[in-house]
This record gives sequence, structure tokens and C-alpha cells, in this order.
Amino acid sequence: MGENKSLNGGLWSRFAEFKRLSGKDKRRMVSDLIFNNAMFIIIAVAIVFIAVRVPEFLSLSSIVNIVSLTAARLPIALGVGGAIVLSGTDISAGRVVGLTACIAASLLQVTNYPKKMFPDLPTMPLIVVLLAVLAVGAVIGLINGFFVAKFKLHPFIVTLSTQLIVFGSVLMYLMIGNNNGQTLSGLDPSYTDFVRGTLFRIGGVAVPRYVLYSAILTVIMWFVWNKTTFGKNMFAVGSNEEAANVSGVNVFRTIVLVFVLAGVMYAITGFIEGGRIASCSANTGLNYEGDAIAACVIGGVSFVGGTGKIGGIVTGVFLLQLIFVGLNFLSVSANMLYIIKGLIILTACAIDMRKYLARK
Amino acid sequence: MKRFLCLLLAAALCLSFVACGKKNSKNNGEISVFYFTYSDAYISSVRTALDKALKNAGLKFNDYDANGNQSSQTEQIDVAISKGSQALVVNVVDTGSDDAALNIIDKARAANIPVIFFNRSVEESVVKSYDKCVFVGTDYEMAGHMQGQVIGDYLVKNFDTVDLNKDGKISYVMFKGQEGNMEAIARTRFAVEDADKILTEAGKPKLQFYDAANANKYLVDQDGLWSSAAANNYMGTILAKYSESNKNMVELVIANNDEMAMGAVSALQGAGYNKQGGKVIPVFGVDATPAAQTAIANGSMIGTIKQDAEGMAKVIASIVDNFRNDRKPFDGIEESTTVGGWRVNIPYSAYTKE
Repeated sequence: MGENKSLNGGLWSRFAEFKRLSGKDKRRMVSDLIFNNAMFIIIAVAIVFIAVRVPEFLSLSSIVNIVSLTAARLPIALGVGGAIVLSGTDISAGRVVGLTACIAASLLQVTNYPKKMFPDLPTMPLIVVLLAVLAVGAVIGLINGFFVAKFKLHPFIVTLSTQLIVFGSVLMYLMIGNNNGQTLSGLDPSYTDFVRGTLFRIGGVAVPRYVLYSAILTVIMWFVWNKTTFGKNMFAVGSNEEAANVSGVNVFRTIVLVFVLAGVMYAITGFIEGGRIASCSANTGLNYEGDAIAACVIGGVSFVGGTGKIGGIVTGVFLLQLIFVGLNFLSVSANMLYIIKGLIILTACAIDMRKYLARK
Repeated sequence: MKRFLCLLLAAALCLSFVACGKKNSKNNGEISVFYFTYSDAYISSVRTALDKALKNAGLKFNDYDANGNQSSQTEQIDVAISKGSQALVVNVVDTGSDDAALNIIDKARAANIPVIFFNRSVEESVVKSYDKCVFVGTDYEMAGHMQGQVIGDYLVKNFDTVDLNKDGKISYVMFKGQEGNMEAIARTRFAVEDADKILTEAGKPKLQFYDAANANKYLVDQDGLWSSAAANNYMGTILAKYSESNKNMVELVIANNDEMAMGAVSALQGAGYNKQGGKVIPVFGVDATPAAQTAIANGSMIGTIKQDAEGMAKVIASIVDNFRNDRKPFDGIEESTTVGGWRVNIPYSAYTKE
């Protein structure tokens, strides 16, 4: 988003500069402008196209819906973004969301629910459950980070392993107590209200609370990435591990912390998802990492490492949800969703790499 | 140190294999039970019940999870047969074509052991191609028919309350669990057809899909997981465009299973519907999971169709026992539920508040 602001501010002086350029330079500058803002252009075109066909697309309730869907998928993307900045990835993300959602749901079932997993458990305070879930996410992140940092294993391999381990744990967890592998449901109103209760109403449309939580997380993550030593170290390690090490960055600690932070983000996603869907099974969270990684890449967090913006991730998540909603409004077969998603990811990556190739 | 650790780990692994091997070497081998996925709620209740039934019968058994992948399942069957399995109980993954089931039958025939398919449909010609093969399922079309009937009856009784915009028609949404699954196809089709039949008989107009531009007349879980999240996302998106104030509110929700129904309920509650004492958009599912039963009790869901997991497990266990003792496969099984000596149909029942 910062990019855009400076673009507007210096528009006049840029325009004057532009006039002075030769024809060839002019063309290059225009094409650069288009390529550097390709995602915003795609978003704008998509919105206009859909809104012309189906005007309700821009109604208040539709906008709130898109924002809510974006908010639900944002924390996991913010988490995985850090791993990508390190030129790695994290494919355990979706399963961690599933595990934490199931744990949160199991601890927060209403006391008189007939098939309550822990029948004698009283109503737990939300904060205790939230902290427990965060701890679970952090531990899995710690394991991921430790193996990546200590043994120099590629994060893909490490997180592939933890993905499987976590899935096995979810299946075992769901068999505990009275639950018998069933979908976890019958959640305490304190939990569902906390997550999807009404934050405020605009024009009679209720905005769910988790939108606020996602917004807060975005601000925190922006601060962590841009204003803290840890954030600067993360980018340093991501762009050149050797150089970062030589200049005194504790590479080991940085990598571990990035993954722990990611784990915490997945746990928050899980906690929100549990209350939002209100029924958690072993399938919860499946493939969420795919969308999260795609969103990061679309938003310019490069697999080359060392670059990425929080604003980009938000844009990426927003674009994916926009397509989902838009295609539904247009009554387009959902099969097209995959193809369009694939094309957008491919385009985004190609544009991204074009910058690096030009530099070389 | 590292090498020592590696060695230790390897030794531990070997030991555990030996331990496993010992258990199965005697007593004619295990009963091998193959599930299409552990993540499915209904299959989990069958698994618990079947584990219990087999244990009570004093049989040695082993459960396998194909995790929704037919090639994993086929490999697991190879492993089980090479281990000396004495019977295969198979919840086949791929129901779209006969090849997967035929392939399994070929393997069983080569090892001369019986195959009991259950839950997920296998064609009659396939089952009959091997004399030691039977199928325990539900008449998969029944669930859809019964759901249609429950919906039809409910609508005839409550037509005016359900018809929110008073246009004399009920607009509905249908959530389909998976493409290419015979159960999903039948439920999607018959739930609407049968409800329409009852409505027509009562002199009411047929159901109308909420979105006239959607030729499929259903929304499907793209991951094929029959998941509540998919239904929740769809429902939330629908509610953004269709509402009472626009006079085009979706007035009826039909889902292929209870998980999807619950996902829709959650989205409806987010929009202020289906809460205690509030306006209710009727939601119907299939499976009668504990979650759905609770939802029906507190009024946030209207009806579901019960599949009898324990009944299915009991029948499978007695068929296994019959095969072991060289009796006819269906000895001692309620005759009205058997069909032509090749299949047993576990009956469905409607589950509503009354």
C-alpha cells in the first residue's frame, strides 16, 4: 500500500519528469508502471467486470462478506509469509490450523452437549484455551524452525514431515474421550460470540469480530516486519544467509523465531476458524497452506527470499477471495476458479521474477 | 554419538516389526478392514462400532486408512494379503468406476479369501463376479428419497412460514459433497425430485433453485470433502447477495451431509438467522451426527437422515464370522434386509424433532 501513496504524492513531479524522457524511456516507464502494479490492475479490472455484470457485487453486504472471508484467511498467510521471506515455505500450515481448531473446539464445547469430548470439563475461560492453542502452534513452529536452522534441511521437507505428524495427531486427538472421531460441535456461545459476534453494523450489515482481530494482527505483523531488529534480521537472512551471519545476525535464532511466529499465526487462524465454522473435523484446514502461499506469492513475497510486504500479502488474500466470491456471483462453474487462480499465480510469479532478471 | 543413535533407532524399528510379525503369524491371520478415510465423521462411527464388534467376537483385526486415495488403498490390500489376511473388509475409495473394486476382487480371488465391501457403493455385477464377495451398504438412493420426503412433508405443513417473500414459491440451495460420487449424485437429485413430488401433490409449486443462472442447480465442495467449511463459505457468499430486504432470500437449505448442513447453519447464524427464538431458514442434512442431533433439538436445523453405523458394524462382523465358519454369508441376518444373496441394506430412518 505504501507504494501507492508515494505514487500519488509525487505524481506531478513524476509527470514532469516523464515529459522530459525520450520515447523509448517513456514506453519503458509505462510498462514498468503497469507491471509493478499488475495485481492492483487485475483487482480493479475484476471488480469492474463483475460489478457491471452483477451490480449486487458492490452492495454493502457483499463487500462485508469479501472482507470477512479475507480476514478469516489472513493470519495463516501472514505466518507463512515469514517462511517465504527466508526463501523457504511451510506446508504444515493447514494441518496446524486443523489441529488447533479441533483443540480449541474440544475445550470449548457446551457443558451439556451429549457427546462432549471431555464430559467433566467445566466451561473454560477463553483466554486459557487461546493460550493453550497458541502454545501448541508455537511448539510445532519451534520444531519446524529447529530442524530447518540446525540441520539446514529445506523447509519443504521439514514441514512435509510435520504436516504428516500433525495430521496423525489430529486423527488421534479426535478419537479421545466421548468424541469417537466425530465432528466437534456444540460450541460454547462465549467462544462463537467472541469470534463471529457482531463487531459493529454498517447499514444493517453485521461485521463479525474476527475482522478486527485480523486487522490487529496485520498491524502487529507490519510492525514486527518493518520496525523491529528481528524483522530486519529476517530479511537479511532471507536475502543472504552468509552475509547476515558475517554481519553478526544470529541466523539460528532468527529462523527458529520466524517459524515459531508462523506457528502462532496458524494457531490464531485455527482458533478463529473453529468458532467461525462451528464444526471442526480432521478435514478442517486441509489445503489452507496452498491458498496462503499463493496469496503471499501474488502479493510479491518472493520465493527468491528477502523481499515481501505485509500489504502485499493482504492484497494477495483479498484477490483470491474476490475471485471466489466473484465467480459465485457470476454463477461461473467453480472449476474455473482453479484455472483462474493458477493463471494469476503464474502471472504474479513471472512479473516478480522479471524484476530480478532485469536487475541481473 | 550420532551413529550410535541411528543404530539404536534402526534396532528399535526392527524390533517393533518383529513384534508385529509375531502377533499375526498364527491364528489364520488378521481380518483386514480398509477405510476410505479416517477423517469422515460417519465412517469414524462405523469404525468404532466395527472395532468393538470384531473385538467382542474375539477376532484379530487391523484397520487401514486410505486417506481418500484409491492407490494407497490398493497397496494396503497388497500388504495385508502378503501378511496372510483371512478376510478383506473394504470401504472402497473409488466409486466412480468398477475397476478399483474388480481389481480388489482379483487380488482376493488369487489369495482365496472373502471380500466384504461396505458403505461406499459397488455394482451388483462386480460383487456377483466372485462367490466370496458381498456388499453391506445402504440403498444409497434411499437417503436422497427419504430426505426429499422429510423436506416435502415439512414444507407442505409450513409452506407460508418458509415462503419469506410470499411469492408462492420456495427458493432453495443444494450443497453437494463431491463430484462423481454416486451417493452424492443420488442425494442431490432425489432430495429435490421427491420433495417436488410431494409439493405437487399438495397443489404447491416445485422448489426453485435460488440462482436461476446456475444450470447445475447445486454448489459442490471443490475439494470433494463434504466439508462444513465449503458450505459455510458458499452460504456466506449467498447471504451477501440474497436477503429478505432484496426479497430474494434463500428459503431452504439442503445439504448432502450433516457437516455441510452445520456449515450452512453457522453462516446463517452469522447473518442473524437460526438462533434460538429467531427466524429459522430450514436446513436439512444426512447422517444424524451428534452435532446435527443437537442442532435439531435446539431448532437451528430441521431434519436429517440417520444411517445406522452400529447396525452396519454388527452385520459386517456376523458376515465375517459366517465366512470363517464356512456358513452361508447371510446366515442369521434379518432376511428382509438382504437382496438377492449379494447385498445387505442397512435401513435409513428420518430424524426430526418430533
